[in-house]
Amino acid sequence: MTERAGRLLVIVVVVGTPLAVYGVRWALARSEPGATVTLHARMAEDGGWTPDHLAATVGQPLRLRLTSDDVMHGFAVGRTDLPVVNVKPGQVSEVTLTFTRPGRYVFYCTRWCGVDHWRMRGTIDVAGDPVEAAAEMPPLYVRLGLDLDAPHPASPVPAHRPSAARGARLGVAIPAAYQSLDRYRSQSPAQLWSSLRTDTRTRQLSNADVWDLVALVARSHTTPAALEEGRRLYAANCAACHGERGAGDGVMAAAIASRLRSFPRHGVTGPVDFTEPARLLGAGPALLQGKIVRGGMGTGMPYWGPIFTAAQTWALVDYVRTFQMDLEDPNE
Amino acid sequence: MSLHRWSLFALGMAVPLIALTPLGGPTTEATDRTVRIEASRFAYSPAVVHVNRGDRVTLELVSTDVVHGLYVDGYGVAAEADPGRPARISFVADRPGTFRLRCSVPCGGLHPFMIGKLRVGSDARLWLALALGIPAALVGLLGWRP
Amino acid sequence: MRRRDLLRNRLVAAALRSRGPQLVITLAALAGLLVAIVAGLTGTPVGARNAGIVLVWIAWWALLMLVAVPFAGRGWCSVCPVPVVGEWLQRGAVLAPHGAGLGAGRRWPRALRNIWLQNAGFVLVSLFGIIVLTQPRVTGLVLLVFLAAAVATSLVFERRTFCRYLCPVGGFIGLYSQLAPVELRVRDAAVCAAHTDKTCYTGSASGYGCPWLVYPPGLTRNVDCGLCFECLRTCPYDNLALNVRPAGADLAVARGRGLDEAFKTCIMLGSALAYAAVMLGPWGGLKSAASAVGTTPWWGYAAAFLLLVFGLLPGALWLATASGGRLAGSTTTTVRSFTRFASALTPLGLAAWMAFTLSFVFANLSYVWPVLSDPLGWGWNLVGTADLAWTPYGAAILPFLQAGVLLGGLAWTGAAVRHVAADLEPQRSVVLQAAPVLSLAALLTVVFMELLVA
Repeated sequence: MTERAGRLLVIVVVVGTPLAVYGVRWALARSEPGATVTLHARMAEDGGWTPDHLAATVGQPLRLRLTSDDVMHGFAVGRTDLPVVNVKPGQVSEVTLTFTRPGRYVFYCTRWCGVDHWRMRGTIDVAGDPVEAAAEMPPLYVRLGLDLDAPHPASPVPAHRPSAARGARLGVAIPAAYQSLDRYRSQSPAQLWSSLRTDTRTRQLSNADVWDLVALVARSHTTPAALEEGRRLYAANCAACHGERGAGDGVMAAAIASRLRSFPRHGVTGPVDFTEPARLLGAGPALLQGKIVRGGMGTGMPYWGPIFTAAQTWALVDYVRTFQMDLEDPNE
Repeated sequence: MSLHRWSLFALGMAVPLIALTPLGGPTTEATDRTVRIEASRFAYSPAVVHVNRGDRVTLELVSTDVVHGLYVDGYGVAAEADPGRPARISFVADRPGTFRLRCSVPCGGLHPFMIGKLRVGSDARLWLALALGIPAALVGLLGWRP
Repeated sequence: MRRRDLLRNRLVAAALRSRGPQLVITLAALAGLLVAIVAGLTGTPVGARNAGIVLVWIAWWALLMLVAVPFAGRGWCSVCPVPVVGEWLQRGAVLAPHGAGLGAGRRWPRALRNIWLQNAGFVLVSLFGIIVLTQPRVTGLVLLVFLAAAVATSLVFERRTFCRYLCPVGGFIGLYSQLAPVELRVRDAAVCAAHTDKTCYTGSASGYGCPWLVYPPGLTRNVDCGLCFECLRTCPYDNLALNVRPAGADLAVARGRGLDEAFKTCIMLGSALAYAAVMLGPWGGLKSAASAVGTTPWWGYAAAFLLLVFGLLPGALWLATASGGRLAGSTTTTVRSFTRFASALTPLGLAAWMAFTLSFVFANLSYVWPVLSDPLGWGWNLVGTADLAWTPYGAAILPFLQAGVLLGGLAWTGAAVRHVAADLEPQRSVVLQAAPVLSLAALLTVVFMELLVA
């Protein structure tokens, strides 16, 4: 090999290697169709999504390349049926989003990635002609004017868990008035119990029996599909803080409690214990809906309004009720 | 045989001894055993899990901060758990020895070093091998000229 | 076992004398180094999917510790890409001598002509070891700093001063190269004595004087010979031999040993211990302390590490040699026997590092396949392996391999200790001299067994 050839080879390698790396990157980027955005995911405390604001147009596919720079994350767009993908560390997943309605959407992380996981959110502004649609009514808790932060102790509380199946066996028909969904949702179980207790048709029943009737009424306003959806949503979004069994003892609970000791908020000390009857039996479905949609105002409880659809929120509310009552299908 | 040969023989036996079935020692009844293992960045708690040989083991993996995995060396079983959704791995601990538990989902910088141990039965054979092998190694090559 | 000279084979001799193949292999290594630096500095921060981490600390390290060092001594040094860019600039040529270069050619200060700086460099990198091994940015930076330091050193100082006196990796490769079954030596010392020009050291038109600042006729150990084969090209009498020889023959050489090497032995054993505990142990607190640089727990870890490698281990060895000497009634100074017995621990040190390497290489080798397709973690799939999942290999045989390596290393050390004792004090009891040191070696073996195998 001549010195000349050797020097040429050296220059090719020294200069060529870094160039080759960027060359491949450029070549691969060129072959990608349409608008493509690369999104980097990091735990919320390290920056969250980058970028965290995207723009799209109705009908035009937005292609996203997603990669995580630290731990396992996931990507989904709230209140839509758009595909959900895992965002894996050091790997790239792709998802193509096509929007049919303009507006502002919120995308969020779907795999728990630390105590601030729920803060890992971004927005997508979709431009397009406004679509004629029925004006969406304000949520029930707003229409009812509920004070979400007022204490709501229940009294009295049942001696043991109310059961819809036992309630069904009582052979008492649910009066028509209680069959209204809106009415059911507006009242707490304790209020429902009082109302049923004073109703003449339940005079023969014990207090415990009336609680079973309350459970039966609750069961009549939900479906196995909704309960299952609620269970799935709870496991994915709530169990980490509120605990698998709703006792407020999830793996993140200690961290949240510690923060609340340093920065007290509204007298809250940690994730709520759903198995405590005095508290949750005093909270009606509309109140729970409000807490879920609005969030905890700095207590660490996320606000799910931009994430869950109305149906999903009600499914979750129905499921949370099962921490206090047994809602198995009495017809099974 | 000379001392040299004997110790070479003992040395040669020491390593294969690690492969053989446990020598004596009390055999404990195999039971069902569930162990809750908490995973955080970057360790397991408990870090060392003891089970008896033959136990029907269920490991419940509870992730406490991010998504972690659990892979059991030697048994090849694995699971992954999100915080709030524990995962369960069940297997029969029929192979004695010490097996590393490793995280199978990248969970940050020290992920490749997130390691725990599963001890099935006692490690008697390992220490017996050492007890034989070390003197053999030391005494062994007395006649060897470098 | 007789020494067999590989250079008697004409094909081998021609291949090693020729500069072309060496340049090509070195350039391949250089390309790898550049990819590692680019990937480390600009690729994904996830270590397991970044070529900077995977190709360097898994692939290259495994090849180095399990193949190159045990079987070829300083074989890696002959193709290492780190010094070559600086060397080309220094020489002004990439092959044979070709005019003047840019190097200032200063001599390295006499006081620093030992491996103390390499000891310090290695300890420094080890203190941050867990960060270097897991953070791509840090690895990229460290590699870039090595490269820059090598270039700078080559432009200021003569020849391969960087490799000989500064490179932290070279420090331990040199130490363990004593155990290799190959060596480069002169064939006939009388030929060298009669040759007045000594072109092997001064250089000639056909080649450079030994870049490693070694005088080939004076080579008795592998420690400082970088197997660059320059002397094959400059010797007019074909008086160099590349011998296959009994492994560890250098351990029998008594001369040329200093405290720097003795401490290096302790540093390597101590860092293998620390790495095994921190990286491969189940103790999360230790890992956190070792990686949270700048915090109080880290300072505690750093202090403990320094105490171990500079204090506890050398101290224990000192005690062992002193007590052995006293038991046997030895008249050798403790410094001298400390230095000699330290050299006898070399095989155990290599065994410990090999056992440690086996642990994490077997578990993590499968990260290499995806990285070949996607070196920067940017979603590429160059050769179709990007989606291969992580899977540990060989968990069943690993304990045997490790135990075998450790016990083999201990046995070898036992023989070396015995030999040193017989050589130091032929009139005194070998067993009494050797017993304390052997006990220390056995204790260390037990600790490594517990950390790596049990």
